[in-house]
Amino acid sequence: MEWNQETLQSLSQCFLNTLSPSPVPRRQAEAFLSSASEQPNYGLAVLRLVAEPTVDDQIRQAAAVNFKNHLRLWWAPSPADTTRILDPEKDQIKSLIVPLMLSSSPRIQSQLSEALAVISKHDFPQSWPNLLPDLVSNLQKASASSDYTSINGILGTANSIFKKFRYQYKTNDLLLDLKYCLDNFAKPLLDIFLKTAQLIDVAAGPGGAAEALRPLFESQRLCCRLFYSLNFQELPEFFEDHMTEWMTEFQKYLTSSYPALESSGPDGLTLVDELRSAVCENITLYMEKNEEEFQGYLNKFATAVWSLLGEVAQSPSRDRLAITAIKFLTTVSTSVHHTLFAGDGVIQQICQTIVIPNVRLREEDEELFEMNYVEFIRRDMEGSDLDTRRRIACELFKGIAANYKAQVTSILSAQIQNLLSSFATNPDANWKDKDCAIYLVVSLATKRAAGGSASATTDLIDVERFFNTVIVPELQSQSIKEFPMLKAGALKFFTMFRNHIPKGVALGLFPDLVRFLSSESNVVHSYAASCIEKLLLVKDEGGRVRYTSADISSVLLPLMNNLFAALRFPESEENQYVMKCIMRVLGVADISQGVAAPSIAGLTSILNEVCKNPKNPVFNHYLFESVAVLVRRASERDPSLISTFEASLFPSLEMILANDVTEFFSYAFQLLAQLVELNRPPIPASYMPVFTILLSPDLWNRSSNVPALVRLLQAFLQKAPHELNREERLSLVLGIFSRLVASPSTEEQGFYVLNTVIESLDYGVIATYMVNIWHALFTRLHKKRTVKFLKSLLIFMSLFLVKHGSVHLVDSMNAVQAGIFIMILEQIWIPSLKLITGSIELKLTAVASTKLLCECPVLLDATAAQRWGKMLDSIVILLSRPEEDRVEEEPEVPDLAENVGYTAAFVSLYNAGKKEEDPLKEVRDPKEFLVASLARLSALSPGKYPQIIAETLDAANQNALFQFCNSYNCPLV
Amino acid sequence: MADENSPHRRDPIKSSVGNVAAQRRRQSAISVGKERRESLVRAKRFCRVSVSGGGGDDGDISLDHEMVIDEEDSILEAQTSSAVQELQTAVAFQGKGAMQKRVNALRELRRLLSRSEYPPVEAALKAGAIPLLVQCLSFGSPDEQLLEVAWCLTNIAAGKPEETRALSPALPLLIAHIGEKSSLPVAEQCAWALGNVAGEGEELRNILLSQGALLPLARMMLPNKGSTVRTAAWALSNLIKGPEQKAATELIRIEGVLDAIVRHLKKADEELATEVAWVVVYLSALSNVATSMLVKSDVVQLLVERLASSNSLQLLIPVLRSLGNLVAGDSRTTCSLLVPGHEITDSVITVLVKCLKSEHRVLKKEAAWVLSNIAAGSVEHKQSIFSSEALPLLLRLLSSSPFDIRKEVAYALGNICVGPAEGDGRPKLIVEHLVSLVKNGCLSGFVELIRSADTEAARLGLQFIELVLRGMPNGEGPKLVEQEDGIDAMEMYQFHENEDLRNMANGLVDKYFGEDYGLEESSS
Repeated sequence: MEWNQETLQSLSQCFLNTLSPSPVPRRQAEAFLSSASEQPNYGLAVLRLVAEPTVDDQIRQAAAVNFKNHLRLWWAPSPADTTRILDPEKDQIKSLIVPLMLSSSPRIQSQLSEALAVISKHDFPQSWPNLLPDLVSNLQKASASSDYTSINGILGTANSIFKKFRYQYKTNDLLLDLKYCLDNFAKPLLDIFLKTAQLIDVAAGPGGAAEALRPLFESQRLCCRLFYSLNFQELPEFFEDHMTEWMTEFQKYLTSSYPALESSGPDGLTLVDELRSAVCENITLYMEKNEEEFQGYLNKFATAVWSLLGEVAQSPSRDRLAITAIKFLTTVSTSVHHTLFAGDGVIQQICQTIVIPNVRLREEDEELFEMNYVEFIRRDMEGSDLDTRRRIACELFKGIAANYKAQVTSILSAQIQNLLSSFATNPDANWKDKDCAIYLVVSLATKRAAGGSASATTDLIDVERFFNTVIVPELQSQSIKEFPMLKAGALKFFTMFRNHIPKGVALGLFPDLVRFLSSESNVVHSYAASCIEKLLLVKDEGGRVRYTSADISSVLLPLMNNLFAALRFPESEENQYVMKCIMRVLGVADISQGVAAPSIAGLTSILNEVCKNPKNPVFNHYLFESVAVLVRRASERDPSLISTFEASLFPSLEMILANDVTEFFSYAFQLLAQLVELNRPPIPASYMPVFTILLSPDLWNRSSNVPALVRLLQAFLQKAPHELNREERLSLVLGIFSRLVASPSTEEQGFYVLNTVIESLDYGVIATYMVNIWHALFTRLHKKRTVKFLKSLLIFMSLFLVKHGSVHLVDSMNAVQAGIFIMILEQIWIPSLKLITGSIELKLTAVASTKLLCECPVLLDATAAQRWGKMLDSIVILLSRPEEDRVEEEPEVPDLAENVGYTAAFVSLYNAGKKEEDPLKEVRDPKEFLVASLARLSALSPGKYPQIIAETLDAANQNALFQFCNSYNCPLV
Repeated sequence: MADENSPHRRDPIKSSVGNVAAQRRRQSAISVGKERRESLVRAKRFCRVSVSGGGGDDGDISLDHEMVIDEEDSILEAQTSSAVQELQTAVAFQGKGAMQKRVNALRELRRLLSRSEYPPVEAALKAGAIPLLVQCLSFGSPDEQLLEVAWCLTNIAAGKPEETRALSPALPLLIAHIGEKSSLPVAEQCAWALGNVAGEGEELRNILLSQGALLPLARMMLPNKGSTVRTAAWALSNLIKGPEQKAATELIRIEGVLDAIVRHLKKADEELATEVAWVVVYLSALSNVATSMLVKSDVVQLLVERLASSNSLQLLIPVLRSLGNLVAGDSRTTCSLLVPGHEITDSVITVLVKCLKSEHRVLKKEAAWVLSNIAAGSVEHKQSIFSSEALPLLLRLLSSSPFDIRKEVAYALGNICVGPAEGDGRPKLIVEHLVSLVKNGCLSGFVELIRSADTEAARLGLQFIELVLRGMPNGEGPKLVEQEDGIDAMEMYQFHENEDLRNMANGLVDKYFGEDYGLEESSS
């Protein structure tokens, strides 16, 4: 791509269009960029556009994002013919990006900084030796002139490069890189840190201005993050030698206040707190990994953090600091220095000044509860609360309990009682105390798995009593509007401890759960749905489900009603918890006409709605699962319902295909396959248009569609083989097969198609196509012979043989070219047999090989004894050795075709699923089949086969064969 | 569809047990940390008392007395400068009594350089001491003079890196004077200076090696006793530190060296044995040739005896590390070395138990490391640790010791539970060991490792959890992991940047605690 005015224009326009709200120009622009990105120097051109000051800022931003993504996809070395960014372009990009990043606006800077991190992931340090020296010399220059814009840009860049030291495994390569970074950067880092510290001391004094302090605090924060990265793997010598210098400043930031900055608007305090958090993370790291070297500083830091927390606990919006500070104390509590907590009253004090204040609901929590229920639930229920102060405060208690269990338990139990009695005296004013009590119990209980059978445990309370006295009153409360957060807490408790609640008690509460589905609060109806859904999964000892269809039949109608009604609440239109509950109920309940009809109507209308703009993949998945389970279970009970379902679903499915809603294709095909399978032949004419769609090659090009398409094709072939044979459809299907099999990336799908055809149709129907089929296979074999292909070919030939007989197999192959069967047998079949994996595949190929061995003239011929022996040798290897001894893993070839041109991935629908069919149900044991066949064969000409075996089989294999013969009592004569 | 975010679709678990099992771990060749030896025995040593024993003259008698006086640095520096001036005059002087004049000047300089904890090296160098000292090292100089020069150089080399490097012009002559023709005190003092130079770093080590320091130093170590032998051993241990392995291999091949090592380990006092053990540490850490020669000798037996009999931390550390290095060699060595059931194996485990019980964390950590390598051996090796006194100790350390020790202990315990890798590369579980360890409460320790910030430790924790989930009889694993809050710990990795850890943790959660779609089948 040439860099000129024209490129600048067209790229600018394109990036502008990618931001367009209307889909047509947006998609066009995306398509253009996608094809332009294949040209050399595309990345460079986009980067130059980013650098162009005359271009509108939002275009440059979009370009910066695109540049970063382009690098992410293509910077890493790839096979030669797919390289998009050549070395000269890489060199230019590398020389441009640092100064550009340092001089650009914050938003672009962050994109370029990420791009730089992508480059350094592959190139730094070996292939980018001047990056770090450049950064250091720029840093020193900027430092000399106290240019903090540049300083912070450089520190930010170094930060993104060094981040890898925080999560990669400690390998020699990583340590070499780290050593290089330390040698170059440890000292400059300390220098700038100390210089900035001095400037802060000066500027923080009387008369210091907030504006002067801002960049300095940002700079110190970055230095702390760099400290974290460089110290993560192990304690470097330089940092050990200069520990006091670092720790002195660290301590200062935790204990000093900076009124000028802290009072200059909310972000002033945030800036200071961010530095303090970064300090907390650093000392936590030292505490955890280098506690011996750090212990001299420990007491002072513990005191500092503690008093800081006392201050922070009182004020809102300092979450991050509260969390990192509490984490430090948690680390201390589980370390060898836990005795810091052993003093009289220390734990009690921690409970009162740190744990309880942080667990109590704050305004932000209430806001989140009302404004963003999805996020609230993620944090509250689904373990994404690792970074909330409520949760972290509980973690601290768990940490202390590791060494002081009895004390923690008694203090907490008392505390919980206090909170509950405070609630009892004045529920309206003190409802948050009860919430706090429930939260403590739930969070300090041991985490339970979704569907497991073990019990949640807690030593804090007697679960059943707590449930009856504290939770049940909330659940039975007549007003579902009152204190929604308390209701949510009660529902969460019920869900968490569901295994502990006796069945009778739980069933008694089912109507209440159904009632809460109609709460206007999104969290409450989501939790009610989730509670019902999880209850239906509870299993008793021995794996029997606790709640069956009979248990819910009395509430079924209002339950389904309320579930669908819940989906009409604002913000809950795509509520995944409700949809999952619908799926679960439909999977358990007894589905009568009265339930099926409104359910399918409700589900299709939702389906039609989400087709317009698929947003929430989880919701959509459960939606399709719900449809599938409804169709399956209702039709099993009442086959007459199938036509009802067809009538309801067809318009939606057609819409999906007609409007190209690619996200739903694989779901649609699976549902169609399910419907086809449920039908009794003849298949209604309404399916024929679908068949046409099935034959469009474009669909097959998207590999995410293929498994579902194969499934649909199988369904058609099995239920309507004759339809297939009309109007050249079969040749179209086989055309798809030849296309797919020609390329290694789709060959597997090609064989699925072919195997389905071969398995479902009579030989008479396919005979005329066989020459073409073999031709396609042999051409591919000639062009590119991969192990995967050889295995697939062998499986296909075996399937052909067991379905249509060895005579057809040999004759149809030889019809392509005389004598080719023997060639394939010797060069492909016999040597590749031992590579077969998978039990169905193993049985199939072993049985087919045995049949060839015992009935095929090519092998039985007197002159073919050698060949016969080799074949048997291979079969014995296949049957006697474990997979891992036979098969050498083929190094995986990166599948580039897979990454191009589609974004959807195949997601299997459990409820529309189909078990893998064994084409050879009549054969139980392939070993037995082998020796029985051999015994019959050898009985025809006694003495002949034992001799061949002795002459041609490998000794170990002879031995294995005789063992088979013995164990099945089939001697060879 | 952007279903990557869906909790139901996660990458499959890539490695199950991976390399918990049956992998010996040499200590990393590359380190960014401080060399720990320094805290115990300094790599560079300052010389205060003459090697020839008690100092030969008046000046040294008052040494201790003088030391107490904390002289002003500036005074000391001024005195040093003028001492160097004095030396210059003395060197230039050709008349009668020139030799004595030189020796006197040197002695004065040497006294100044040995007087305080922080000798005025900088002042001496600034005044131009090195060329004069080199001149005084010339062949044919009297021993008395050589001794003083070498002493001066020793203390200059004990200084800062650049001060040590200043010795470069003197190195060829120092090496020449450790040859067999030199008197013992001169050779020893020169060896001392060279040892300090070698202790500085790789670059100077390579210079010394290229100038042929190895062979004469090695020969100095051969006799049976004496401070010369000790000094030579110490200098050698500095010289072969690597990271190149060549010098170590060369040293062990020098005739008589292996014998001398064996002899010293058997008979020498603890001080000499300590220095020799450090030589063995570096030989075994760096050179496979050396390792295989050492294991064929009596060294292992002798190391075990030293471990059993000594209480000197100074000695125990290098002895234990040598033993660890030898055990961490290739698995064949370990097998032939520690034949299960033989006395030697039991005594190795016994001395390791002693170290695990020690108060000193370095010993605990190294002992756990050695045990982890033995536990990586055959099933019989695992059994002998399993049934020894080490097991309860390891279990206790896993829950109550500092992080670095816990990690080593976890490797040992993990290795005890898995058999050697089989043909398919996947190690087999030893259910009996696993069950017993879990019953004794080790699971919480491993869960704790998952929570740590250390990626290696987290991987180890996850791998052990995988064993528990897969291997505990009656499908008890998930329940146990749940009880120890393991799900919670694994969920911390849901979005972790380390792909391997993320996949392992998510895969385990999905596989053992995932949703149960098949439920409705069983209800109908």
